[in-house]
Amino acid sequence: MIALPVALLVAVALAMVFADQGPASVLRHLYLVPTLWAALARGAIGGGLVGALAGLLHAPVVLPAVERLGLTSQTLDGLLSLGLPIVAGLLVGRLVDGSRARAARLAAVLAIQRRLDGPEALDDKLVGVARELRAALRARRLALLVGADVRTALLACVPVGTLVDADSAAAFALATGQRVSTAELAADPRVRTDEPVGPTPLRALAVPLVSGAGVVGVMAVEWTGELSRATRAAAEELALHMGLAVENARLTLRQHRFAEELAEKVSAATARLRELDQAKTEFLSVVSHELRTPLTALQGFSELLLRSALPPDRAQRCLVYLHTEACTLGRIVGELLDLSRIEAGRPLELRPEPIDLAELIERNLEIFAAEHREHHFRWTSSGPAVALRADPDALDRMVKNLLSNAVKYSPRGGQVCVSACPAADQPGMIELAVEDDGVGIPADQLPRIFDKYVRVPHPETAAARGLGLGLSLVKALAEAHGGRVEVDSCPEKGPDFACFSRRRTWTFDLFSV
Amino acid sequence: MLLLSAPFDPGALAPPRQSARAYAQVGGAVALLVAAGLGLEWAGASFALGHALASGAVHGGLLALGWLLATDAAAGWSGPVVRLGATLILVSITARLHPLGALAFLLVPGVLLLEARRQPRLRAIGLRGARPAHALAGLAAGAFLGAQLLVTASRTFGYRPQAGDLPAYLAALAYDVGANALSAEWLFRGAMFSLLWRRWAFWPAALLTTALALLRYLLDPALPHAAEARAGAVFYLGLVGLIGCALRAWSGSLLPGYLAALAFFAAYRIFAS
Repeated sequence: MIALPVALLVAVALAMVFADQGPASVLRHLYLVPTLWAALARGAIGGGLVGALAGLLHAPVVLPAVERLGLTSQTLDGLLSLGLPIVAGLLVGRLVDGSRARAARLAAVLAIQRRLDGPEALDDKLVGVARELRAALRARRLALLVGADVRTALLACVPVGTLVDADSAAAFALATGQRVSTAELAADPRVRTDEPVGPTPLRALAVPLVSGAGVVGVMAVEWTGELSRATRAAAEELALHMGLAVENARLTLRQHRFAEELAEKVSAATARLRELDQAKTEFLSVVSHELRTPLTALQGFSELLLRSALPPDRAQRCLVYLHTEACTLGRIVGELLDLSRIEAGRPLELRPEPIDLAELIERNLEIFAAEHREHHFRWTSSGPAVALRADPDALDRMVKNLLSNAVKYSPRGGQVCVSACPAADQPGMIELAVEDDGVGIPADQLPRIFDKYVRVPHPETAAARGLGLGLSLVKALAEAHGGRVEVDSCPEKGPDFACFSRRRTWTFDLFSV
Repeated sequence: MLLLSAPFDPGALAPPRQSARAYAQVGGAVALLVAAGLGLEWAGASFALGHALASGAVHGGLLALGWLLATDAAAGWSGPVVRLGATLILVSITARLHPLGALAFLLVPGVLLLEARRQPRLRAIGLRGARPAHALAGLAAGAFLGAQLLVTASRTFGYRPQAGDLPAYLAALAYDVGANALSAEWLFRGAMFSLLWRRWAFWPAALLTTALALLRYLLDPALPHAAEARAGAVFYLGLVGLIGCALRAWSGSLLPGYLAALAFFAAYRIFAS
């Protein structure tokens, strides 16, 4: 407040009167105390006002002496002490104002930096920034328009409650990058408004926010009353800072988003790696078991043949068992070799040749029907003869794997239907479907069942043997033929695998599953 | 917020002013009336009447000029201007004809307010009420300056208050209320300062306005011719002018500055009445 310096000033004046020592009284120097106090407290206005009051209070002491004595050293000293408080008050006050304005600017810059640094959305931060700027610039209203286009730009207005017109001065500054400045907004001929001119001028400034990327927004400020050059310069300086700060905030937000995405990806990859690691451990356990079973049979029957003189019919049966188990062992080793090729990124070695698909399926169905007498197999073929060009061994393994899968995961007495027909919605493709009525696959597991080592856990099929490689191999072989594999399943019903093959007359080199 | 909501046309120019004719008409009328008054004085027909006519015409002209500046000579300017001018001439003559006639000056602010009620644009020059604190600040500033003048002038030049002639003092005060301070505030701190402050910063507008107000006082034949009186007039009227501009800018109203001027002149009239 300025009341206390004024009171002190009056006290000094009264002391001068009572001391009655003329203009040269040492008390005259005390006028500087309230003057500097006011200057420090209220800036140039306070300092100048109290300094002027000091001069006016001192004048009735100095001027009579000047009138009486003329210009002597004493009266000159008196005149000097008359003007000194005014000059000192103004100068000190101005310095105080300048340093306060600079401090306010720096504080605003820091506050803006802090507000824009957080992870919140930019429009949430802008309102706080607008408040800081408005306080720093002592503006009546302040708005930040951030964005390249006025229709999509973010708006933060303090006080709130204004919409942006696409033809407004702020929009013009945003579009052209030109500054708009006016000493009286309501009376400016460039601004079409019905708002009456008030008793105090409405100063306005719209400054583009510029960064390395060009104009990134506009800061629009309205003041009532006096607008000093220093305030205008401060506004432009803060706008310059805002441009860079907005750009930094955008980069920071992008960085935050990128870091979050990266963390999610790393987390997913880590989880996947853990799953894979676990699957490989399980795989090793299963593969050891799968290899050991035929090996044990081979070992047992060969020892029996070596050590015992068996009758020819029993020896023959032993040899059949030996052959069957050797075939099983060969199939497992073959699958492992294919898998290692796939994992190493080497292409599968295919030897395509003309194949009668119907004959191949019928042959396999006979084998499976003989091995799994409880199951019912059905084969349906529609359309012309299904002739393909493919690697017979690969195609055979695919069919076997699909049939084996169907048998393995369907109950005894279940039905396995195999069909082949031209794909209705994909010209030139042949659809080979294997359907069973076993346990279904949950929807969330469907995308994973063609991955390696994956076996969908289910209480009814827990006893089923397998490496978790069959479907993965089917997929790899299908894709090696240029085809694809699809699966459809409902929880009560087993999966329906469909293969799509491009059919050509005797020459077929693409195969889709 | 007009920067965001009002349509903006960067190429738009201010419409040309159509008010030159109005200024010429008012200036011509004032010149004729002043000439008539001076003519009456010179011819010796009636010194008091001639002086009153010239004085009333000048103050009426100042109010009229302020009206034209404030309203940009908007349609219908002539009625209020003529009525205000006529009121001031009549009041001025009345004050010359009868010792209590000067009290008629007290009616002028009321007439001005009545005329201004029909013109909302005059709010832009500060023709509106003021907060009590602002009004008190104006009174205090004028009273302090007046008191300082009294002390300094009496101590420096030995001026003594002329307390004996109370009617003359009151008549001078009434003249300040209805003509002297009123026309100065209305034209210089109201119309001119408001107009200039809308284009420039405070100090250039305030200094130019105060300089023009000082010029008006220095041209006034009623100002004492003594050198110290003229120097004092420049100093104190300059301060009154600057204080009036500051109060107008601070409060948004003409009232505090008007009260400051009245308080100052109330002190000054102790010597000059």
